[in-house]
Amino acid sequence: MTESAPLAVELRGITKRFPGVVANSDIQLRVHRGEVHAIVGENGAGKSTLMKTLYGMHRPDEGEILVDGRPVSFRSPADAIEAGIGMVHQHFMLADNFTVLENVVLGSEPTRGGRLDRAEARRRIREISDAYALGLDPDTLVEELGVGDRQRVEIAKVLYRGARTLILDEPTAVLVPQEVDELFGNLAELKREGLTVIFISHKLDEVRKVADSITVIRRGTTVGTADPATTTAKQLAELMVGAELPVAQKRDSTVRETAVLQLREVSVAAPGGRPAVDDVSLTVREGEVVGIAGVEGNGQAELVDAIMGLRPLSSGTVLLGADDITAWSTRHRREQGLGFIPEDRHRQGMLLEAPLWENRILGHQTRPPAVKGAFIDRKGARADTARIMREYDVRAPGPDTAAMALSGGNQQKLIVGREMSARPRLLIAAHPTRGVDVGAQSVIWELLKDARAEGMGIVLVSADLDELIGLSDTLHVMLRGRLVATLDPARLTPEELGTHMTGAASTAGAA
Amino acid sequence: MKAAALLLAGSMALAACASDESDSGSGGGSGSGGNDELMIGLAFDTGGRGDKSFNDSAYAGVEAAVEELGLSMEDNVQTLSPNDDASNRGELLTQLAEQGYDPVIAVGFNYDEIIADVSQDFPDVTFAQVDGSNADGAKGDNVTGLLFAEEQGSFLAGVAAASKTETDNIGFVGGVQSPLIEKFQAGFEAGARAVNPDITIQSQYLSPAGDFSGFGAPDRGYSVAQGFYQNGADIVFHAAGGSGEGVFQAAVEANKRAIGVDSDQWQTASPEQQAVIMTSMIKRVDNAVMESILSVANDEAEGGTDVVYDLESDGVGLSTSGGYIDDIADVVEDYRQQIVDGSITVPTTP
Amino acid sequence: MVVILNRAVPLFLAGLAVSVAFRMGLSNSGVEGQYRLATILSAAAGAAVALPAPLHVLLIIVVAMLVGAFWAGIVAVLKVTRGVSEVISSIMLNFIALGLASFLLTGPLRGSEPGASIITTADIPESGWFPGLNGVFGALGLAEPRSELYGFLLVAAVAGIVIAVLVKRTRFGFDLRATGMSPSAATASGVDARGMVIKTMLISGAVAGLIGLPDLLGSSHHYGTEFTTGLGFLGIAVALLGRNSPVGIALGALLFGFLDRAAIPLQFEGIPASVVTIIQGTIVLAVVVANEIARRITRRQAERGGVQSAPPTSGDGSTDGGQGPGGPPPDPGAAVGTGTGPGVRSGAADGTRGGQQ
Repeated sequence: MTESAPLAVELRGITKRFPGVVANSDIQLRVHRGEVHAIVGENGAGKSTLMKTLYGMHRPDEGEILVDGRPVSFRSPADAIEAGIGMVHQHFMLADNFTVLENVVLGSEPTRGGRLDRAEARRRIREISDAYALGLDPDTLVEELGVGDRQRVEIAKVLYRGARTLILDEPTAVLVPQEVDELFGNLAELKREGLTVIFISHKLDEVRKVADSITVIRRGTTVGTADPATTTAKQLAELMVGAELPVAQKRDSTVRETAVLQLREVSVAAPGGRPAVDDVSLTVREGEVVGIAGVEGNGQAELVDAIMGLRPLSSGTVLLGADDITAWSTRHRREQGLGFIPEDRHRQGMLLEAPLWENRILGHQTRPPAVKGAFIDRKGARADTARIMREYDVRAPGPDTAAMALSGGNQQKLIVGREMSARPRLLIAAHPTRGVDVGAQSVIWELLKDARAEGMGIVLVSADLDELIGLSDTLHVMLRGRLVATLDPARLTPEELGTHMTGAASTAGAA
Repeated sequence: MKAAALLLAGSMALAACASDESDSGSGGGSGSGGNDELMIGLAFDTGGRGDKSFNDSAYAGVEAAVEELGLSMEDNVQTLSPNDDASNRGELLTQLAEQGYDPVIAVGFNYDEIIADVSQDFPDVTFAQVDGSNADGAKGDNVTGLLFAEEQGSFLAGVAAASKTETDNIGFVGGVQSPLIEKFQAGFEAGARAVNPDITIQSQYLSPAGDFSGFGAPDRGYSVAQGFYQNGADIVFHAAGGSGEGVFQAAVEANKRAIGVDSDQWQTASPEQQAVIMTSMIKRVDNAVMESILSVANDEAEGGTDVVYDLESDGVGLSTSGGYIDDIADVVEDYRQQIVDGSITVPTTP
Repeated sequence: MVVILNRAVPLFLAGLAVSVAFRMGLSNSGVEGQYRLATILSAAAGAAVALPAPLHVLLIIVVAMLVGAFWAGIVAVLKVTRGVSEVISSIMLNFIALGLASFLLTGPLRGSEPGASIITTADIPESGWFPGLNGVFGALGLAEPRSELYGFLLVAAVAGIVIAVLVKRTRFGFDLRATGMSPSAATASGVDARGMVIKTMLISGAVAGLIGLPDLLGSSHHYGTEFTTGLGFLGIAVALLGRNSPVGIALGALLFGFLDRAAIPLQFEGIPASVVTIIQGTIVLAVVVANEIARRITRRQAERGGVQSAPPTSGDGSTDGGQGPGGPPPDPGAAVGTGTGPGVRSGAADGTRGGQQ
C-alpha cells in the first residue's frame, strides 16, 4: 500500500466526539496525490464530520492530519485553504444575482488601487476554466446557470483559491445523469493536472465509475478500503451497511379494480402564463404504484400540491375514492386518507426545531394517537413516536430529540413511518429516497411495496429512474405540465425512460 | 441563556442595592432634617426637569424659597420625576410624604385625583398642587391648590397680538386639547377680538385629549405654525410646552412673530429666536411655589382652599424682554386695569 | 411589593397578548390601540349599566375582550384578504384607536364635569369594581400594605394558564406553533394558514383588551386622560424578555414592574428616572441577543452532534435520551422561575458582576 511519494492527505486515528455521541472514532484515511478517492458510507455514518475535520471546521479530539506528509493543525477553513484543501459543498453557496466572476472572487478579490481588478480576475478564471475544461463564461449571471454549471462555478471557486486537494460532498445528488457524466469528465481533467479529489458519495455505481480507490465508513469508523476495479457494487454496499441489501424490484402485481384517486383534466395556473399543470388525467387504483417521471420543473411539484390541496386548480376535478375532493381543505383530505411524503422534507415535512414526537403529530393533528379531543396527547404521541422509531429503524436518542439532530435518512424514515401509521388510502411519495442512504433507501422501498401489497394506492414522483421503473405499476412521463407518455415499466430501460423525459421520443409509448 | 439570566439578575441586583441604599440614605436625611428644618418634596409632571416650562419654573420657585429660608438644595429638597407613562404619580407623592418631606408640592393637574387620595393617608403633611383646584376642599384640608388665571394673561397676549398684527390674522397653537389649555385659547381670542372684532384667528391643538404627546412634539408645533404663517398669520401664540420650540423655529424661518408661554421665553432663546419672540405670557409658577413654601415655613398655610394667581397679584402677565411691545404698553395696561377692575370678565372656555 | 405587582399585572397581560401572536410568527404591534379602545368602551359599558357585582365585572371583562379582539381582527382580515403586513396595519390602527378614544372621551362618553382638568368617562358603580386582595395579607399575618393589591391579578393568572395550556397542550396551539416554526410545513400538514391568522389575532386582541382592566376595575374606575398609556409597547419588550413563555413573561413583567418602581428610590439617590428606561432597554437587547446566540449554538450542536452518528435505538426506543443534543430551546423561564422569589433573589446575589460590567 505505501508508496514512496508522500500522501496528499493522511488521517491517523481521528476521533471526534460531540456531547453524547462519538461521531468519528479511529478514522484511518490515505489519499494519494493525483487520484480520485471516494469515501462511501450511509448517511449518518460520519462522512460529513470527517470532512469537516479535514476542512478545518472543527478540530479532532484525537489523531493527526498530515498533508503532503507534514502534520498540520487547522483552526479554521482558512487554514485548510492555506494548505491547499478546498471544499465544494453539497448545497451551493452562490449569490444568484452576481456574475460567475463575482462569485468566484468573492472573499478573495484581486484588487488594484482598492478596486476589484476585473481584468485580472477574468484572466485567471478563463485560465482555470480552460485548464480543467470547466467551460465557464465569467460574465454570465449565476441565476442563468443550470445546476451542473453552478457546480462548476463552485469548483472554480475552490481552484481559484489555489486548492490542490478538492473535497466534493455528495456532488451528484443534485445532478441529472448527463450532468453526472460531465462532472466525471471534469474530475478526470483535474486528475490529469495532478490534483487530488476526495469524493463523498453513497451512490455506489458512480463511485465505482469515477474513483481510483475507495474508503468505506460505517458507524463512524473506517471499515476498509476497496479497489473499484475488482469490487462489485453489491460488495461495496454490503461493506457499507454490514449486511446484504435488496434492490428495487417489484413483486407480483397487486393492482385491484377500485380506483382510489382520479384526476380529471386537472390544470394548475402558473404566474408565467403557461399552466404549470396542463390538463392532466390519471387514475390510481388500490394496490397500484403510479410513477410520475420527468425532468424536475415540469409540473410534478405543482401536481403534487394540487392533489394535496395546497394549490388551487384552475380547472378539473380530483376524486378520492368516490368523493369529489376538489374543494376540500388539505386537512380534510388528510383526514380522509391522503398521506404525503413531501419532496422537501425540511420545508414541508418537518418542524426542524421541534422534538420528534411533535413531528409525529404534524399532519395528523386531528387523529389519535396524537390527540385526545381538542388536546394534544403527549404521552400517546411520545409512545407512538417510540414505536415508529422502532418499527421504521429511525436512529435517534429518543422522541424528545430535535428533528434537526437527525440525519436526512432518519428524518425521512420518520416521515414515512408517520404517514404509513395513519394507514392512508392513497400515499403521495415525492422523491421518497432523495438524499437518503442505501440502508434507508431499501427500507423505504420495502415499506412502499408492503403498503402496495396491502392495497394502498401510491403516487410516486421521483427523479431516480431505477426507483421509478422498479416500483411503479404504471409510469407516466410529465413534460411541460402535460402527461406525454404512459409506459409499462416492465419493458423499459432507464435509457429509454430518459429519452422520453427529455421529450425526444415520440409519444407513442407502450400503454 | 445563561448570559441572559446572569445579566438579568445582575441588573436586578443593581437596582435592588440602589433601592436599599436609598432607604438608608433618605432615612438619615429626614433624621438630620428633623422637625425644625423644612424638607421640601417636589413631584414633577411628565417631562420632568429641563422642560423649559412649568416643571422648571416650579423648580425655580423652590430654589428661590430655599435661598430665602437659608436652606440647602442638597439637604432640604427632593425632586422626583414620574416614569414614562406617568403611571407612578401616586407613588411619587406617597414616597415623598413617607420619607418625611413636608410640604410636598405636585406639579400639574394630572395629580388631581391622586393628591386627594394621598393627602388622606398623610393628614399631617402639607400638600400643594400647581394647576390643581381645591376650592371646595374636596382634596382634603391639607391641600392647597395653586391656580392661575391663564385666561387673563392670555387676554393680554391677544391684545398685544391684535395690536401688533399687520395682516389682521393671528394664530394659536395649543399643546393638548384639555380644559387647561382651552383657558389660554379662550383668553387669547377674547383679547384679540376686544381690540379688533373682525380679526382672523387660527387655532389648532397638537394632540387630542388623553394624548400628552402634544407638549413634547416640536416637529408638530413647527408644521402647524408654518401652516398658520402660510395662511397669512404674522403672530402665533403657543401654549404647547416643549412643542413651542418648533413654533419659534417656524417664526424664524417665516420671518414672522411668535408669543411664548409660562416663562419669559426670550430669556432662554437663541439670538435668532429672540428676534421673533415678541412677548411671553408669563405664568409665575415659581412665585406660586415659593410663596406656598414660605407660607408653610411661616406656619401660615391654610389648606383646603385655592390661591389664585391672576393679573392683580402679578401671577400672570406679559413679559417685555426685547422691547417689542413697549410701544403698546399703554394699551395693554389699559386692558389689564379693566380686568383687575372687573369691568372685563375673561371667558375660560373658547 | 404591592405596587410592583400592580404594575406587573398589566405588563404581564400585555406581554401575553404579544406573545400569542409571536408564537405564530405574527407581530401584533397594535396591542396599544387595542387595549386603549377596549378600556374606554368597557369603562363606558360598565358605567352605563347596573348589575349584581359578579355579572357587572364579567360584563366589563367581556366587553373589553370583544373590543380588543375586534380591533385586532381588523388587522387579521386585512392581512388575509389584502396581504397587508400586520405590523403596518396594526400600527396604523393604533393611531386610529387613539384618536377614536380621544373623540369618544371628549364627546359621547364624557362623564366628568365640563370644567374638570382631567376628562374621564363616568365612574363605574361599585358593583363593577374588582375587589382587592389585601385581605390575603391579613390572612397571612402580614401588615396590610398601603395600596390595594389588584384582584385582577387572579384573572391575569387564569389568562396566563389558559394561554399556556392553549398553546402547549391543544391541537389549536400545536397548529399555532407549527405555523410559527415553519409556515410551509404547517400548511402541508393541513393547517389553514388564513384561519390561523384570524384566530390568533382574535385571541391576541382579546387578551390585549384585558390590559387596562386592572387599573380600571382596581383603582381608577373610569377611563380618562390620565390613564396609563404605552403598556402595549412595553408588552412587546416583556414578551421578548419572557421568550414567549407565560412563566417567562410573568418574570419579565415582575422585573419591569420592579425596575419601574425602583425609579423613585433611585431618584432619592440623585439618579435620574431615565436610567430605569435605559436599564430596561439594555436588558431586552441583551436578552434578545443572548437568545439568538443560544439558539444558534444549540442548533449547531444539534446539527453537528446529531447528523453524524446518533446511536441506534436498538429496539426499545425508550425515552432515555430525553436530553438530546438540541431540544428546541424550551422555556428557560420554567427552569428559572419555578420558585419565583428565591430564584430571583439568589440570582441577584451572584449576578452583581454581570450587571455592573
